[in-house]
Amino acid sequence: MVDDSLNDSKVSILHAAQVSQRVRSGERVLTILDDLALEVHTGESVAILGSSGSGKSTLLGLLAGLDTPSEGEIQLFGESLTALGEDGRARLRAGQVGFVFQNFQLLPTLTALENVLLPQELAPSSDDEQRARTWLSRVGLGERLDHLPKQLSGGEQQRVAVARAFVSHPRLVFADEPTGNLDRATGAHIIDLLFELNREMGTTLVLVTHDHALASRCERCLRLEEGRLQLMDHAEVAS
Amino acid sequence: MKAFSLSLKGLRRDLRAADVRALFVALMLAVAASTMIGFFLDRLDRGLTRQAGQLMGGDLVLEQSDPFTKELRQTLRDAGLTLSQQVDLVSMASRDNAFQPVSLKVVDPAYPLYGQVRVERGDGTETLAHGPDPGSVWVAPRLARLMGFEIGDTLRIGESTFTVSGLVEREPDQSAGFSAFNPRVMMHRDDLPATGLVQPGSRLEYELLAKGPPDAVARVQSRLDRLRDNGVEVRDVREDRPRLGGALDRAQRYLSLSGLAAVLLAGVAVAMATRRYVDRHLDTAALLRCFGASQRQLSTLFSLQLMWLAVAASVAGALLGLAGQAGLLAILTRFLPLELPPPGPLPLLMGVFTALAILVGFAGPMLLRLKCVSALKVLRRELDPMPVSGWVVIGVASLVFGALLWLYSGDFMLSLGLLVGGELALALLWALGHVLLTALLWLVRGAAGDDRHGARHAWRLGARQLARRRQASLGQLLAFSVTFAAMAIIALVRGDLVSAWEAQLPENTPNYFAINIQPDERDGFREIVENASDTRSDLYPIVRGRLVTINDQPAEATVSADQEAPDELRRALNLTWRATLPAGNRIVAGEWFDADAPAGDDRPVPISMEQGLAERLDVSLGDVLGFDIGSEHVSGRVTSLRSLDWESFRPNFFVIFPPGALERFSHSYITSFHLENDRQATIGKLVSRYPSVSLLNVDAILEQVRELLAQVTRAIELVLVFVLLAGVSVLYAALTASRPMRAHEGALLRVFGAGDRMIARIQGAEFALLGIASGLLGALLAEAAALGVYLVWFDLPPRLHWPLWIVLPVGGALLIGGIGHLLTRSVRRQAPMESLRLLGET
Ligand SMILES: Nc1ncnc2c1ncn2[C@@H]1O[C@H](COP(=O)(O)OP(=O)(O)O)[C@@H](O)[C@H]1O
Ligand SMILES: [Mg+2]
Repeated sequence: MVDDSLNDSKVSILHAAQVSQRVRSGERVLTILDDLALEVHTGESVAILGSSGSGKSTLLGLLAGLDTPSEGEIQLFGESLTALGEDGRARLRAGQVGFVFQNFQLLPTLTALENVLLPQELAPSSDDEQRARTWLSRVGLGERLDHLPKQLSGGEQQRVAVARAFVSHPRLVFADEPTGNLDRATGAHIIDLLFELNREMGTTLVLVTHDHALASRCERCLRLEEGRLQLMDHAEVAS
Repeated sequence: MKAFSLSLKGLRRDLRAADVRALFVALMLAVAASTMIGFFLDRLDRGLTRQAGQLMGGDLVLEQSDPFTKELRQTLRDAGLTLSQQVDLVSMASRDNAFQPVSLKVVDPAYPLYGQVRVERGDGTETLAHGPDPGSVWVAPRLARLMGFEIGDTLRIGESTFTVSGLVEREPDQSAGFSAFNPRVMMHRDDLPATGLVQPGSRLEYELLAKGPPDAVARVQSRLDRLRDNGVEVRDVREDRPRLGGALDRAQRYLSLSGLAAVLLAGVAVAMATRRYVDRHLDTAALLRCFGASQRQLSTLFSLQLMWLAVAASVAGALLGLAGQAGLLAILTRFLPLELPPPGPLPLLMGVFTALAILVGFAGPMLLRLKCVSALKVLRRELDPMPVSGWVVIGVASLVFGALLWLYSGDFMLSLGLLVGGELALALLWALGHVLLTALLWLVRGAAGDDRHGARHAWRLGARQLARRRQASLGQLLAFSVTFAAMAIIALVRGDLVSAWEAQLPENTPNYFAINIQPDERDGFREIVENASDTRSDLYPIVRGRLVTINDQPAEATVSADQEAPDELRRALNLTWRATLPAGNRIVAGEWFDADAPAGDDRPVPISMEQGLAERLDVSLGDVLGFDIGSEHVSGRVTSLRSLDWESFRPNFFVIFPPGALERFSHSYITSFHLENDRQATIGKLVSRYPSVSLLNVDAILEQVRELLAQVTRAIELVLVFVLLAGVSVLYAALTASRPMRAHEGALLRVFGAGDRMIARIQGAEFALLGIASGLLGALLAEAAALGVYLVWFDLPPRLHWPLWIVLPVGGALLIGGIGHLLTRSVRRQAPMESLRLLGET
């Protein structure tokens, strides 16, 4: 159970209540999420920990409005996702939500710069390119603008993804195991970058991981177990 | 605006991808082929109309027995036509005490409106754009031989005496018939009054010839209609264009067929490339969804992108098509009049339309997948939208292709038939492909050996990969066999057309016609010809008769009122009698009359009719036709319909009677034969011994037809190259599409320890097997399609093409192996780590 009475003064950016997700797998019905509740406030950084297959990505997808839950209510930026259609949810995300994925999700035929520009192209403005260059320099890839993903290492690719997530000054960034495909040192570098930007820009960060070290840097840690979230104290996270 | 620039930007980036390039090339080739052929046929058609105008002597020819009024001439001139007047009559030429009937042609200074006269005036043959000067005549060489005079001698016609100043070797407006029974004399119009030939009651034909563009002729249309009603004979080049020969008809059909084949091939290439394009863009679409793009935005983005591609490909294709048609025309120029109308805009529009139609039809259903992609795919890779069923893709593509077929051929039933036939063939191919793959798997399982590194091992592994990837392999198998079949058909038809043309006019094709052979001259004439000639037709009796009734109704009444009666009802037909079917004729319905059947007196005799005329007159088996011959009425029942070859240079007859029915009427004989150039002495002998027989030399016409065929042959070769290119573009597109999959397999094999050579061998074996299987299926499809095309479209006898069954599998293996090898070479060079990653990204 999440205790949010302490945070009454803060503005809620993401709200989930009584969310269940059931999928049919062959003959039987699999319950991935079961009567789950979550409240995230503006500027906060939240980690969701769970073992592989516990349903973290499923939850993230629901929170970002990429999918709809079998039951329950989710509100993003104060709007009910469940009431919106597929296109309405997409419009809600546009320019306000950033993503970082485990497998980077860069388009192989686009250069680093073009990849960062991609989300902006849906609502272009004149300084897009300048901003994208600035962000790529910011993540240390100022010299690699014209390189294709396959010419970059995994860590470098993820840095491009981070630049892409932040370039539109989103209010909320979702990260799904951002270090999952990286070695420890590179992963640590990406984490530093993420939290630095989170602090600096005041962006809310919702991070899904099975990595305790990463989770421990968030202000709040929740464990996803048997389809529900439980608040963890720091001792628990560190263990 | 936003979507515009975004889509353009996306397309520019996409040009790096092989599938987009394949799409571009395929669309460009389709547009190039259809515009090239469209432009060419359009201009050829208009050019031929002009050529026909030359053969007729003008674009418009009016004929009546009185002089034409000044008012009419002025009307025609006002419409923008150039005029020339001519008088034709049969008269008597005399010299000393010799007399000879001649066919006199009186021309004015405007003669000839088209072309030039080839005339010998004493010092070599000249080509002149005018007739003889006043006071002199030009005559046919035959007349000079018959009457024994030379250039410079005099000849008396009517009451005037003329100097013979030239021998006419060729008149520009002499059509291929043999209407001119009597030798030609050409005279200036100023000399006509003095001859005293123009008198009340003399049989004169006044001709008014006009030259001008079709719209000028159209401007006087209503006047022409009124003239026709008043009994004036009006020949309009737009309607009465003489057949320049089935050869050209067939060539035009061949070109249309080739254009369609190229369009079909390009369509298949587009479909193959689109599959890869869509697979590649599913991630883009999902990401864009994730970043907040709506479905509408996505579909606009991708449709615009592809539309730009289609427009760019259309422009490039149209330019290529323009160049191509110029090439085709350059080849045909020697035959066609030089002055061709410029290319019209219609083919260009058709080209762009074709490109868009192909895109919608062959790529549309698959593109819809992009719109349906779920944003969740970014988290769960396997979440691809349902792949579109192959049958939906094929169904939509067939509908669009069928519509294009209909548009191009203008024949709904034919298009429907081809479409249904095509679908059936595809279903059959699919089933056969299944069987083939299963058999392959079974074969390699049986052939397990213990050499683990040899070539046999590679074959086994290659076969297994092919057979296991059943769906993908079946798709490629279908695409490749359709490709090979289309390429093969176009090549086959070309070969058969050319050999049919060659067989049609062999070296010993008759080059002389002899007409007006009297019954008592028949045996003597035949003997001389038999001794001198290597080929000759039989001697056929000719009886002239008019077809007046069909089933006891006036023949004219059987033709619907809004149509003009066919020419064959307005003039007398050449009838003949014969016991056996003439060489080169084929019975298409009914039976040839039984020679032994006793001819009853009162019932109609059996007759055989040419099928084209029967169709024009709506006559079928069992109908009774009545003829006026002399002052008698003879009727016959149609018991057989024949097809015959009008370009055989043999006597041909619309209607043949059995022996015993026509002998009592006055008749003469006709025959044709071939004489080598060095046997011309025979002609002198025939002319002097049988002066009343008319001999026509058709060498010039033969030469023209041969020339035409040679040039048309070269033109269709150029088109064949185009179709083959389109075929190769299909292979390229399909193999490009399968590259990532093969790269992945290659990398896995390498991870498991296979060397470069081994991987190359396995993939080579796979390509070769695919090529062989596609070649076999393609050969089957080609045979089936050729059968249909030959019967329906080209009127050629069907036959089995056994080399196909060797050439296609072997060629298929080499072609697919070659292209596949090139495309996978770079993949093989990559480290396995890279290939595996490459797959992860695509
Ligand atoms: N649409 C679905 N159909 C079937 N099974 C699903 C579906 N979505 C998720 N699952 C299953 O639910 C479980 C949780 O998946 P996921 O959310 O990806 O876990 P995590 O990200 O924590 O590893 C997994 O076992 C997965 O196979
Ligand atoms: Mg996950």
